[in-house]
Amino acid sequence: MTGTLATIERKNPFRVILDFFKGIAVDFAEGGLFVKLSLLLMGAGYFRRGQIVKGLIMTVFQVVIIFFAFTFAAHYLSRFGTLGTVEFQPVFNPETMRNEFNDFDHSFQILLYGIISIIVLTGALFIYLKNIRSVRALEVRAKQGKRIPTFIDDIKSARDEKFYITLLALPCIGIVLFTIVPLVVMISVAFTNYDQLNMPPASLFTWVGLDNFKVLFSDSITDTFSYAFGIVLSWTLIWAFAATFSNYFLGIGLASFINNKNTRFKRVWRTMFIVPAAVPQFVTLLLIRNFFRDQGIANTIASDLGITDFLIRIGMVPAHLSYIPFLTDPTWARTMIILINIWIGVPFMMLIATGVLMNIPKELYESARIDGASSFKQFTKITMPYMLFVTAPFLVTQVVHNINNFNVIFLLTQDLYRTTDQMLSVSNAREVDLLVTWLYRLTQEQYDYKMASVIGIMVFIVSALFTLLAFNLIINRNKEDKFQL
Amino acid sequence: MRKNYALHGAAFSLRHLVLFALAVFWLIPIIWLLFNSFSEFPGLNIRRFFPDGFTLANYEILLFDTTDTVARFPVWFMNTLQIAIFSCIISSIFVLMVSYAMSRMRFRGRRTLMSIGVILGLFPGFLAMIAVYFILRSFGLTNNHWGLVLIYSGSSGLGYLIAKGFFDTISETLSESARLDGATEFQVFRMIIIPLSKPIIVYTVITAFLAPWMDFMFARIMLNSGIATDWTVAIGLFNMIDRNFINTHFARFCAGGVLISIPISILFVIMQKFYVEGIAGGSVKG
Repeated sequence: MTGTLATIERKNPFRVILDFFKGIAVDFAEGGLFVKLSLLLMGAGYFRRGQIVKGLIMTVFQVVIIFFAFTFAAHYLSRFGTLGTVEFQPVFNPETMRNEFNDFDHSFQILLYGIISIIVLTGALFIYLKNIRSVRALEVRAKQGKRIPTFIDDIKSARDEKFYITLLALPCIGIVLFTIVPLVVMISVAFTNYDQLNMPPASLFTWVGLDNFKVLFSDSITDTFSYAFGIVLSWTLIWAFAATFSNYFLGIGLASFINNKNTRFKRVWRTMFIVPAAVPQFVTLLLIRNFFRDQGIANTIASDLGITDFLIRIGMVPAHLSYIPFLTDPTWARTMIILINIWIGVPFMMLIATGVLMNIPKELYESARIDGASSFKQFTKITMPYMLFVTAPFLVTQVVHNINNFNVIFLLTQDLYRTTDQMLSVSNAREVDLLVTWLYRLTQEQYDYKMASVIGIMVFIVSALFTLLAFNLIINRNKEDKFQL
Repeated sequence: MRKNYALHGAAFSLRHLVLFALAVFWLIPIIWLLFNSFSEFPGLNIRRFFPDGFTLANYEILLFDTTDTVARFPVWFMNTLQIAIFSCIISSIFVLMVSYAMSRMRFRGRRTLMSIGVILGLFPGFLAMIAVYFILRSFGLTNNHWGLVLIYSGSSGLGYLIAKGFFDTISETLSESARLDGATEFQVFRMIIIPLSKPIIVYTVITAFLAPWMDFMFARIMLNSGIATDWTVAIGLFNMIDRNFINTHFARFCAGGVLISIPISILFVIMQKFYVEGIAGGSVKG
């Protein structure tokens, strides 16, 4: 996994783009009549070389794109700058004797279809320009007297040296449609005033520049967003690190404890910890949430054993309560969430750690034992460094995963935890919210899409900064790592 | 010498006592789930850990009683199964195709594509989901199982890393000699790599199949009509312990939890072996 970030193109991207256009210009200038004609009719160069099928495909493509550009794209792109000007209005239609709607603008549709149009047209422009290069290459081939590939040859190459295009086409279309287009749309929403007051179809929304980001960072009394953002962001970071590292170290500890040569029935113990991990997370989370309710079984047991009274006496539970607020008090809830997450995550980590531990070269321990190292010393000097080296990329992705860990927080606290902090509740945030659960509640409960998008962008910035820092650290450290053979 | 034995014996017992205590701690919620699913009391018993009386009625109602409009377990199960099968087929094919291309083939833009994949993974999935919801709604695919299938499988190509790590370990000499014998890249993929990749195919298929059973967030957004027969198991079970129903349905929720856990845990146990191999193997190579 380290490879992916370390291998970000080292070539200057502007250089690549410049070279692309240069190549097209040169090909166009040097090309013959049919290369130049291809600028007008995309299939021209192929017809000239006898590639009728390809020529037809290109011509049909061109017709479809031109049709698309002048109908669909023109309609939405012309309104893209304002995101619509015609307000929704009911109109009485005397013919049908009913109230109907005027031909109103739907801001979200304009935004969405505008972005789709831009992406389609950019792609088409790329194919259009690339077409010049292919046609010119054909011309060169013909002049050199080489054989011109037939359509059958093209199909064959799609199963051979061009097989990657066949493999990647559908998955890439899926990613563009279900990740890239939606992300671009939502990032754009962060620069509009799309919220409950400006919600299509009843009303329009429009571009507002950086106003939403200013709200997030402004420090005025009326804007509680920056206050809420500070609290939620710091809890998100505390949670992500606490959750990742508690699971990590306890999981490794448990795995080596079971793996120790003095432990009997290793498989039985392992199975006992796998059983809770195998039950679907939402079942266990919903169960535990009811276990720790204010009027729940955990409180009954704690009260019977006198724990509740004891905690009230030492001041860990407010005196006016008769129960332990496991999931309803900010500090208690945050602590419990991290503890419950340990319960959920440690078995998984134990499984992974067991796999890695078995891969540690036995000779390392052998020679350590001969040198008289204690088993604790062996753990800190061999096991841990090896584990850290092997699982470092996993650890980084795990932190990012926990920054976005929706399920644990949502299922444990939704409808159960209520904040008493007025400033937070104005912004619809709670002490236990992560940025993602806050984002969820802003959209699903407040329809405040603009601020939700801003927060989504913040999540990306936090995750990206952390990933870049962590991978740079790992890559630098690995250069001198003794385990790299 | 004898003292040493005693010390060892004590350490040995202590070690197993600690493990036993930990195991009990980890199993408490599971035991609570199991016992509550047989409870005679339909609601949340807050007085005692173990139920006062035992019955099979919860399972019976859940599986065979169609008059209970809150608990439509068989319908939810079939819904989820249908969604899981279709999204599993599409996702597995996508993941295997992308990981093969990224692992075994070299082409221009390969690294750029991989970097884009990493960057996309840093955005919260929920952010894109808001816009996907609107897109699918304009096609009338919300409150529709095909819409959910598209959500689970549409972007699945991004999850190619573990399978790629596996393909990376298959020796290049095999495909090289096949190519010398005149095999096309497609034939190498189909006749050499796929038969050698049974473990990673099993892993990919099971993970893709399990996702719809575990997912809560996306299904809740997409299936918002309030019609119980549309739901998946996760949404249905969540609704059963809603404030309005918990006092009559908590025991049935537990029974549902047990029923759903059985197939899932079997698949999970098969899968976890490959998962561990993927994490351990994939990272060693870096």
